[in-house]
Amino acid sequence: MMSKNDGKRQAILERAYQLFRVQGFDGTSMTDITARVGGSKSTLYSHFPSKEGLFVECMMAALENYMSDTLKHLDATEADPELALRNFGASVLAFICSSEQVEVRRLMIAEAARSRTGKLFFDKITALRSQVSSFLSRCMASGMLRRDDPDLAADQFGALLEAEMLEPLLLHVREGAPDEEEIARAARRAVAAFLRAYAPAR
Amino acid sequence: MKTKTASKRQAIIKAAAEVFREVGFERASMSDIRERIGGSKATLYNYFPSKEKLFFEVMHQAKEGELQAIAGELNTEADDLKRELVRFGQKFMTVLYSADAIAVRRLAIAESRHSDIGKLSFEQATVPIEKQVAEFLRKVMKRGALRLADPKIAAIHFLSLLESELLQRVLLGVIDTVKPEALSGCVRRAVDVFLCGYERR
Repeated sequence: MMSKNDGKRQAILERAYQLFRVQGFDGTSMTDITARVGGSKSTLYSHFPSKEGLFVECMMAALENYMSDTLKHLDATEADPELALRNFGASVLAFICSSEQVEVRRLMIAEAARSRTGKLFFDKITALRSQVSSFLSRCMASGMLRRDDPDLAADQFGALLEAEMLEPLLLHVREGAPDEEEIARAARRAVAAFLRAYAPAR
Repeated sequence: MKTKTASKRQAIIKAAAEVFREVGFERASMSDIRERIGGSKATLYNYFPSKEKLFFEVMHQAKEGELQAIAGELNTEADDLKRELVRFGQKFMTVLYSADAIAVRRLAIAESRHSDIGKLSFEQATVPIEKQVAEFLRKVMKRGALRLADPKIAAIHFLSLLESELLQRVLLGVIDTVKPEALSGCVRRAVDVFLCGYERR
């Protein structure tokens, strides 16, 4: 059963997430969050000592929710791996490039030398990757892809997917998330290169 | 206020490079750097408002030149394309995954919200290297050693594949350094998969 404290914590996470999504990390203050959640600022700080910490928790929760939704794509259309990978790729890429996910990644990279949150975040990414890897391993077993290390293939798929977009976003070269069409194009190119590289030998 | 000069700026960068090398970024202070060049602290801050900015400039100048030189050595006429890509990848990744280069990369991302160093780093380091690699690939495609494709996308794919096993782990601080043996494995696997994807069939 959820204790009173857990309930409060959950409420803070939900409200804060809504605010971060609308106002961004910089545009949201702990005061805004207190106003939305109710109660005192010291209660808020007793749950989350810093805005960064709160933000990271919000975004990890978002990543988890997202993963449980999207990974279904990978099972449903297995008959056509190209279509499955393309849909999955576009969905993952859109998520990764959303403003708040770029922001959280930037924060974790900034803190990498000082804190362990980057590693926690990496564990989440790894969980996502291992799902991709088991999908690819099924494709290899059925002969749709040539046999190779599926973990390596999943890393390479991820890298191809992020290749065109992530760095300019992380470095603030471009503002705002890319639109759907742009995402679809990059995902299509990544999937095409990947499938060509992993085509079964003829 | 005194006018800033390019030579003074360069002298500060040189002194800072020495200090960072000797004691590392965390332990280095703006006072250490000022002592080495003389002059007032105000003058130093007039050129570089923070230690981060100065560090970025030092590393940026060093790494950027080195990486571009490595990309510039790509030989279009090499008989063995695979060997040429592995040779390039090995040299390139060794510099890119040095402790200094990783630190500056993290810093550029971290600071990009508050300053233009992220943008500078992208325009002055990432883009020129992508262009060099794309130009190389364009020529290789033209002479028929790779299938015809958009060379810019091919270059970005190749560079991303080189980093595919390492980038997130290193940026997020899961691993701090990469051993040379580990690097060469990553490079070999990246070149293999790139060639599978871009070779003519």
